[in-house]
Amino acid sequence: MPAVIEIDGLRKTFTGLRRGRRVALDGFDMRVEPGQVHGFLGPNGSGKTTTLRTLLGLVRADSGRMALFGEPAPQRLSAVVSRLGAIVESPQFFGNFSGRRTLRLLAVAGGVSPTRVDEVLEQVGLRDRADERVKAYSLGMKQRLAVASALLKAPELLILDEPANGLDPAGIRDMRDLMRDLSAAGVTVLLSSHILAEIQQICDHVTIISRGQRVAAGPVEAVLAGFDHREFRIRVADDQPRAVELVQAAGLPVAVHADHLVVSGLDDPARLSQLLGEQGVWLRELTPLTPDLESVFLELTGTRPHPGVPRQVDDSVRPNAAPTDDPLEITVSSDDKRAAP
Amino acid sequence: MNLVRAEIGRLTARRFVQLMLVLLVTAFGITVATTLAGSHQPTDFEIRVAEARAEHQRADAMRWYADCLGTDRTGTPTPDGRYQGDCADLDPNRIDGSDFLTGVFVFDRQIPALTYFLIAFLCLFGFLVGASYIGADLTSGGMTNLLLWRPQRMVVLGTKLGTLLVGVLGLSVVASAGYLGAFRLIAEVRGLPGSPDSEFWTDLAGTVSRGLLLVLMVTALGFATATLGRHTSAALGVAAAYGVVWEVGGRIVMGIVDVARPDQLMLSSYVVAWVGGEIRLWALAGDCAPAAGSGYCDLSYSILWPAGLVVLLGLTLLALGGAFAAFHRRDLA
Repeated sequence: MPAVIEIDGLRKTFTGLRRGRRVALDGFDMRVEPGQVHGFLGPNGSGKTTTLRTLLGLVRADSGRMALFGEPAPQRLSAVVSRLGAIVESPQFFGNFSGRRTLRLLAVAGGVSPTRVDEVLEQVGLRDRADERVKAYSLGMKQRLAVASALLKAPELLILDEPANGLDPAGIRDMRDLMRDLSAAGVTVLLSSHILAEIQQICDHVTIISRGQRVAAGPVEAVLAGFDHREFRIRVADDQPRAVELVQAAGLPVAVHADHLVVSGLDDPARLSQLLGEQGVWLRELTPLTPDLESVFLELTGTRPHPGVPRQVDDSVRPNAAPTDDPLEITVSSDDKRAAP
Repeated sequence: MNLVRAEIGRLTARRFVQLMLVLLVTAFGITVATTLAGSHQPTDFEIRVAEARAEHQRADAMRWYADCLGTDRTGTPTPDGRYQGDCADLDPNRIDGSDFLTGVFVFDRQIPALTYFLIAFLCLFGFLVGASYIGADLTSGGMTNLLLWRPQRMVVLGTKLGTLLVGVLGLSVVASAGYLGAFRLIAEVRGLPGSPDSEFWTDLAGTVSRGLLLVLMVTALGFATATLGRHTSAALGVAAAYGVVWEVGGRIVMGIVDVARPDQLMLSSYVVAWVGGEIRLWALAGDCAPAAGSGYCDLSYSILWPAGLVVLLGLTLLALGGAFAAFHRRDLA
C-alpha cells in the first residue's frame, strides 16, 4: 500500500519587491503512512503551512516531488481530492453566511449529500449554533466549522493546520477525542500544531521541520528516545556535597542544583541507590527525567527561550545535512543552536 | 453542474449583491415614480395648441431644410442659408406635436434617453458585483476553501465568471423588460405613446441589445481587474484611476500638446459609439477643405459601433486573459 503522503526534496522560494527572496522550503521530505496520526511540528515561519498549501495545490513548488495516495500532486489532485479533507491556517468564511449555509455550499460544490452537513455539525458541536452568521462565531467556533468542512467528505486523509487554535480547554479535549475517534475509524490524520502536549498525546508519528528542512521524523517514542539521556533527579536526606563526590567517583555526570542533583547516563537507578546507601547517604527522591516533545522540539529547532533574549521568528536552526529515509533521523547541527544557559 | 449550483447559491446569497439589487430597483423605482408624477394625460386643448406650434415650427424648418439641401446640391448657399451641419437635423418631418407638450411623457420621444440611463445603471451594477464577487472570495478565503474541494483553478474561475455573466445577463434582461414596460405603461395611462413605428422599435431593440452586451463586458472587466488585483478595491481603484488620470488628466495634457483627436483615445468615446451606434467628434486641429462659399471647415469625424465593439471586446478579452493567466500561476494565501 503506498504512503498516503509522500514529499521528497520540496523547495519553495518566495520573492517580493519589498521583502526580497525568502526560502520557505529547502528540500523538505515527509512521509505519512496509512492509519497514522502524524504530528507536523515546527517553529513559526519554518514552512509548515507552506508545505500543506503546496501539497494541496494552493502554492506552486519550485521543485520536488509530492504524492497523495500514490498519485502525483498537484497534477492528479483532482483524482484524490474526494478522499481528503483539509483546513489550512486560520479558517476564513463569509461572515454573513450561516455555518450551515457555508457547509451546504461546499457540500453542493463537492457533490456531498446535504444530510452530511447535519452530521458534521453534530460531530463538531455546532448543531445548535449552525444557523447563526459566521461573523457572530468566536474563533473557536470558526475553528470547529473549519474542521466540520474538512470532515464533510468523510475523508480517508484529514489534514488539519492548527485545529486547536482558539479552542477552549473543553474544545481542545473534544478535538483530541475527535482525532482519536477518526483514527480508530481508520482515518489518516496529519496534524500541524503548536500545542506539543496535545501532539504527544494524540499522535503516533511526528515530523519536525525547521527553516524549511526536516530535522526529525519517526514514531513519537523513537524521537523522544533519541533525546533520553537517562537522567534522574535525586534528593538526599543530608550531605549533598558527599553525594556529589560519590556520584562523580562512580563516573556519572552530575549537575548540582540548590536542592537536588541531576545525574545522567544512569542505566539502572538501583545502582545509584546502592552506591549512596553503602556510604550512608540516603535517598529521599529518585525521579527519572524523561524527555517530552516540547523539550525535544525546542532542542531540535533551537528555539528554547532564554531569559532576557528576545527570540526572533527566524532564530531557529538550519539542519546541516540532507535528511535520510531512516525511520528516525535527527539532523540538527549543534553548532547552530544557542548555547544552553 | 454541482459547482454551478454552488456558485449560483453563493452569488445570490451575497449581502453585497442583495444590497446592489435593492439599490438598482430603488434607482429604477425613483426614475419611474418621478416620471409618473411629472406626467399627465394631455387634454384635447393642450394637444391642439401643441399641434399649432408644431405646424408653425414645421413651416420654418421646411424653409431651412430646403436651403440646406440647396447648398448641398449646388455648392452655393442661398442668401438665407443659415445651417452648415447635417441637413437631416432640419427635416420638418422630425417635428412632432408632442415636442410642444409640457409635463407629458411621450414614450417614443423620451425612452431612448431613459434607455441610456438603464444601461448606465446596469453597467455600474455589473462592475461592482463582478469585482466584489471574486474580490471577496479571494480575500475571505472562500476561493481557498473552494479549491480544497475542486482543485481545478481554471474550471473554478471559469465557472465563477460564467455564473456571474449569466446571472447579470438574466437580471439585466428582466430589469430592461420591466423598466421599458413600466414606461410604456406610464405612456398609456398618464402620457402619450407617440407614434413608434417599426424603425423605432428596431432602433430601441438595437440599443438595448448593445447595452446588454456592454453590461456583460463591464461586468467581466470588473471581475478581471479584481482577480488581477486580488481585491475588490483593485477594480474600483483601476476604474477611478483611469477616469481621473486618463479621461480627465490625459485629455487636458493632450489639449496642451495639441493632439488632434484626443477623444479617439478615450474609452468613453467607444462606449458611446457602441451603445448609440455612432459618436460624432470634433478634432482640435487638422487639415480640411473649407466648404465652398461658407468658409466653414468641418473637422468632425465619427466613430461607429463596430469600432466601439472591437475596442471594448478587445480590452475585455485582454483583461480576462490576463486574469486567468495570473490566477493559473499565482500562489494563494
